[in-house]
Amino acid sequence: MQSRRSFLKLGATGGALLLGGAFPFESLAGSAIHKLTILHTNDVHSRLEPFPLDGSKYQGEGGVAERTSLINSIRKETEHVLLLDAGDIFQGTPYFNLFKGEPEMKAMSLMGYDAATMGNHDFDAGVEGFAKQLVHANFPILTANYDFTATALEGKTQPYKTFKKGAIKVGVFGLGIELKGLVPDDAYGKTVYLEPIQMANRTAERLKKEEKCDFIICLSHLGYHSNGRKVNDLILAKESENIDLIIGGHTHTFLDEPTLLKNKKQKDVIVNQVGWAGIRLGRLDYEFDSKKSSKLTNAQSVIVRKQTRG
Amino acid sequence: MAMATFLNACHKPLFISSHTNQFYTISNRYAADSSMVQMLRPYKIGVDTQMQVVIGYSDVPLTKAQPESTLGNFMADAQLKKAQSIDKKVVGSVVNYGGVRLPYVAPGALTRGKMYELMPFDNVLTIVEMPGSDLRQFCDFMAVRKGWPISGITYVIKDKTAANILVDGLPLNDNIVYKIAMGDYIANGGDNADFIRPLKRKNTGVFIRDAMIEYVEQLQAKNIHLHPNIEKRVKYAE
Repeated sequence: MQSRRSFLKLGATGGALLLGGAFPFESLAGSAIHKLTILHTNDVHSRLEPFPLDGSKYQGEGGVAERTSLINSIRKETEHVLLLDAGDIFQGTPYFNLFKGEPEMKAMSLMGYDAATMGNHDFDAGVEGFAKQLVHANFPILTANYDFTATALEGKTQPYKTFKKGAIKVGVFGLGIELKGLVPDDAYGKTVYLEPIQMANRTAERLKKEEKCDFIICLSHLGYHSNGRKVNDLILAKESENIDLIIGGHTHTFLDEPTLLKNKKQKDVIVNQVGWAGIRLGRLDYEFDSKKSSKLTNAQSVIVRKQTRG
Repeated sequence: MAMATFLNACHKPLFISSHTNQFYTISNRYAADSSMVQMLRPYKIGVDTQMQVVIGYSDVPLTKAQPESTLGNFMADAQLKKAQSIDKKVVGSVVNYGGVRLPYVAPGALTRGKMYELMPFDNVLTIVEMPGSDLRQFCDFMAVRKGWPISGITYVIKDKTAANILVDGLPLNDNIVYKIAMGDYIANGGDNADFIRPLKRKNTGVFIRDAMIEYVEQLQAKNIHLHPNIEKRVKYAE
């Protein structure tokens, strides 16, 4: 009995070794595995320091200096990382009241954010207030459905950006929430809100067909669930065509597991959101290969392994 | 055609084969990165210094107590004043007792930081349109909980219910809709105040803490010290 158990154990290990050993052969056959790691935050709300140790719910959690160490250690382990934020960078601590977003932008630049979108609170110091802080940001602000013509942000944002991560081409674009009724009129001024689903599909199609992206990410500040609004991330996912991943914000939703949905073409879309205040850093690790069949795998049964609390 | 072939040759399409997900909870289990700490230092000094700024004075100790307290009256008054500056039809103000986060503030100088300690949450001042019958229910709700800070409203706690409810000095009328100022936490049904959730409301976008700071600063601008009294806004029936 004893020896049989040992044998089974050995067998399992041997199997794992065999599986591990299979990769180099696949590489030689031209179907190498390409890895991409997505790290993300949303609704950090000027929370630069951890929550004070005052007995409140999130005491001791968050903090950009702590997040920086974590991100740096992940970057050491894995080569191809995209670090993204889904908006509401501003408002929530005295840092914003006093410095109007300057340390928030500097902190994100220091952490090496690749892109962010705008949340409603990013209009709290007006379009001008946000525009003024962009000199401290070394990453682009992506928004495909705000028209900033004739505002202080004209020409200072872009609808999307593409990233080459090894052999993988990634397209990232941003979507913002309807501002009327949510943000004071004079804060957003002449900003024109465009219907997000239409703009999303148009932008994603361009990323897929013209930019030839392998993977398309939407940074959304529409909110996870209805929240009394017409559009949200769940609706966007179902109505979308070429988006693979929606990194959401606005509703401060702590998703322990991302939500897996089918898009208009019955392909998988993942929606994720990590609460607020920089309490959590979200992480998604993707593997890509050049096998056509894997496209079907993606549509039918994406393997979502149980997340581990970190 | 040649162009398309060229583009395809340039970038060989890749497809997702698998993915995994996880999240990290950020805390001091990760060492603070020294370059980030260094970048933040001048801002942190600024914040810490600003929080020590004296915004006004109180002549009396501000004490948290039930059914009525000096600290509670100050907060409810500050909330009412700000709400009335936004909508002059606001007649009353309610602070949830649990939202008052300090038990005691010593008489003397009041710092901005003390206001942050008193109200660390970013609760937003909300004006709720409350039919008289709901306001009566709200007063009963507060009576069961031994009295919450209020302004513009008075009542007597009798057998765990609210009696002799007066709003702006007049007896409560079940058929009038009253505009009552409160935090969004309670307006959204916090502390089991579920009956408030369906009522029409206006989110003012003003943090309650900022309303408190403004109240103290406006008094100080006129060289007036805070001096809240116990006025029998809420008392037990004799």
